[in-house]
Amino acid sequence: MRGAWGAAAVAIALPAAGACTPEVEGATLRVLAGSELADMEPLLEASAERTGVRLELEYSGTLDGTERVAAGRADGFDAVWFPSNRYLHLVDEGRSTIHTETSVMLSPVVLGVLESRAEAFGWTVADGIVPDLTWEDITVAVEREGLTYGMSSPAASNSGFSALVGAASAMADTGAALESEDVAGVEERLETFFSGQGLTAGSSGWLMDEFVLRQAGDAEAQGSPLDGVLNYESVLLSRGPDLAGDDLALVYPEDGVVTADHPLTLRSGASEELVEAYERVVADLTSEEVQTEIAETTFRRPVTAEAAGRDLPPMVELPFPARRDVVDDLVAAYFAELRRPARTVYVLDVSGSMAADRIDDLRASLTALTGADEGPLSSRGQTFQAREEVTLLPFSDVPEEPLTFVLEPDGSAKVRAELADEVAALEAGGETAAYDAVERAYELLEEAGEDSHLLSVVLMTDGEVNQGMDLDELLGSLAEAPSRVEAAPVFTVLFGDADAAEMERLSSWTGGRVFDAREMELEQVFREIRGYQ
Amino acid sequence: MLGAFLLFPREAPLPDPQSGPDRARRWIVLVGGTLVVILVATLGFVVADRFGGSPVVVEGVVGSEKVDLFEDDRVRDRFAELGYDVRVRPRGSRLMAEEADFVSPGSTIASEHVRELHGATTEYRPFSTPMVMLTYAPMAEALRETGVAREAEDGAWSFDMSAYLDLTEERTRWRDLPGDSVSAGDRNEVLARTTDPRTSNSAAMHVGVLSYLLNGEEVVSPGAEDAELAETLSRLFPAQGRPPESSQQPFEQFRDLGPGHTPLLWAYESQYVHAAVRGPALPEDAVLMYPEPTVFSTHTIVPFVENGDEVGRLLTEDPELRQLVTEHGYRTDDTRHFGDLVDEHGLPVRPRVGDVVHSPAHEALEAPLSSIERDYEDTGAGPAVEEAASSRSGGGRS
Repeated sequence: MRGAWGAAAVAIALPAAGACTPEVEGATLRVLAGSELADMEPLLEASAERTGVRLELEYSGTLDGTERVAAGRADGFDAVWFPSNRYLHLVDEGRSTIHTETSVMLSPVVLGVLESRAEAFGWTVADGIVPDLTWEDITVAVEREGLTYGMSSPAASNSGFSALVGAASAMADTGAALESEDVAGVEERLETFFSGQGLTAGSSGWLMDEFVLRQAGDAEAQGSPLDGVLNYESVLLSRGPDLAGDDLALVYPEDGVVTADHPLTLRSGASEELVEAYERVVADLTSEEVQTEIAETTFRRPVTAEAAGRDLPPMVELPFPARRDVVDDLVAAYFAELRRPARTVYVLDVSGSMAADRIDDLRASLTALTGADEGPLSSRGQTFQAREEVTLLPFSDVPEEPLTFVLEPDGSAKVRAELADEVAALEAGGETAAYDAVERAYELLEEAGEDSHLLSVVLMTDGEVNQGMDLDELLGSLAEAPSRVEAAPVFTVLFGDADAAEMERLSSWTGGRVFDAREMELEQVFREIRGYQ
Repeated sequence: MLGAFLLFPREAPLPDPQSGPDRARRWIVLVGGTLVVILVATLGFVVADRFGGSPVVVEGVVGSEKVDLFEDDRVRDRFAELGYDVRVRPRGSRLMAEEADFVSPGSTIASEHVRELHGATTEYRPFSTPMVMLTYAPMAEALRETGVAREAEDGAWSFDMSAYLDLTEERTRWRDLPGDSVSAGDRNEVLARTTDPRTSNSAAMHVGVLSYLLNGEEVVSPGAEDAELAETLSRLFPAQGRPPESSQQPFEQFRDLGPGHTPLLWAYESQYVHAAVRGPALPEDAVLMYPEPTVFSTHTIVPFVENGDEVGRLLTEDPELRQLVTEHGYRTDDTRHFGDLVDEHGLPVRPRVGDVVHSPAHEALEAPLSSIERDYEDTGAGPAVEEAASSRSGGGRS
């Protein structure tokens, strides 16, 4: 009657089988990890010495990595380790991808604000903390005092995602997990709150770097300084001391926060050896000593009450939505309605060297951005959004005639189609006058007038600039632009034989970032840049 | 409430009604052709034991809250002395009960369902534990002032489930409660955190008590669908937010993350006692409260094979194992063990829990649980699979 009888008999006949502990000494767990975890490497090396199990981390953005796992595109990884599995649990309906998960450390997403600015808003700073504020109080400071802050893209990074869910849940103020219908009532306040977002980014780490750089008033960094930044408490505490001349005070909204609990997660289908290896690692990482060390070196909070953490204030955790559509709707609303719309000039190299495959690649990659916004959450916001303004500025010997598209909320489908047609019509020929074209892009941003749009320039070139002004001339010219326009970052795309050093200099001078399309698909690069626009 | 007490008094687990000759006969019938194997097996482990060989491997699927017990070295050692290597798996997802030698659900209702599903007639009831509420001192104080909680004559706290239900119906927030000791900013609803009602026994117990109260203090009977009751009940789960990933997780979060994270938790008394006796300890201001009425989680062993049967028998009869079971916070039918332990550690535990209701029959719980399930699944919040096999439905609901 029962198959187990056979199993029992076998076990009796071979009493030694399965009785011994699997040998895990020298085992390796391959882990797909959030890029935030890079600061754990020294700790993990020490842990490997003790456990005999090595963690081999490959980094990825949280939401992107999560969807790779849920879609079955993460073969080769035994485990995943993101700041949070919340989204994974919402998309992985059958829980089919997870064997076990264990929270290793905590860090809430909170607001860091310059002490001088906090005091200017009339806030009291005590011991590096601004107590007794709510999300609404922050919104009021945006509205009345012009508070500006940086926050990562909720479709790319867990800190931005957590901040969005936190702000919306707190504003809706229902006392329970957020429901879709709750958002409608607070859209106006959320829009006001997000009108203070002066910087977006595809990663929490880059966001903090850029925030600090802008404070430094570095002659080589031109982005507008911001008053604050929404990020992990651990990132704010560890990077705060890098700020020149001002301290960072932390705002823990008293109506609640969303906390990253960093679950080390073993994927299903793990062998007995891997399960044993995983358990050893988890036992080590959650031991009192290692927990204390995590708190000391990474500023994250321990998950075990016995470990000596830093003296960090208690906080209220907001319930995280139980339903996937609530989260999807909220992220869609963020891009289409709540955030400041983007105005971007795409400066596109169509010189002779771009002929054939390269121009085809460029056309296909840009066309992908003109599609409708659908599919998994990590791709949300990667296509052009309602309210957004997109200008194509092709160049060769000289900048060509710019073509500007405004994606009105009604009828954006038609505009997307027109945009796609223009992209398809791009033809290659001539020399490379890239810096003349970038200068022209800034003129276009200036001509567009002053409004709430977040400005940026994307420069895609495949060769040395051999026509028109040189980089020094361009930077000299940009310094003359009105400050709101000058603050627009240039995201440079390295393609073909582009001059990496010059592209790096242009990006860092403008507060942008270099993306390398020599090692990544051009389409992927364009998609990634969307997190920064 | 008094009615509940009079109608359904139950303090300790019942002795196994089905051990004895009937069971022995059944095994003979069941075993039939494999009798030879059994003889070999018996000889095998007797010999193995005598000569220090390896004990017989017995595999069980258990609720995650019992993993600690079965994996306790002292429990493993004692089983090894008795000739068994008992291995348990907390997950039921793809580990159907068919692959196990026994399962250990956390309620008689789930146990009955498992037995029906698999045609098993034997069941042991080695230990049980009442469901409790855990909170922190400032919250307990605020709840006392609201009239939901009180310190009873026996020194233990009582928690009025009916008054609590009223609070949830008014969607009361923590900051609305009297007293200034509760974080003034905590705008979250006064809402007990539970496990996932779709997969976990602990939350099903919660549904059992609430449905009893919402049904005019009567145990819900099968077939009686009450839309209003279902609606009231099912709000209380998604409103907590994303369901936890295991029945142990909310307890650990209560223990480690403070009142801002989990101010009020529905838990097994055994979890509290075990933490106090063996650690990791709960925070000093954690408060144990007895819901009135509450419900007993009676842990059973449903064996599928002879070795599984032995595990059930030994847990019920072996004095050493029973002592260890007590140290894990469970009550056995020998109340002295538990009483001694509680005295020794000075725990604010109620020795005799009186106000207890029966859980509704499995079929009667189906209606409210299905309604809750629909509430989540309409929108794609998948359940944790962890305990599907061991607690509520024993081997997956097919």
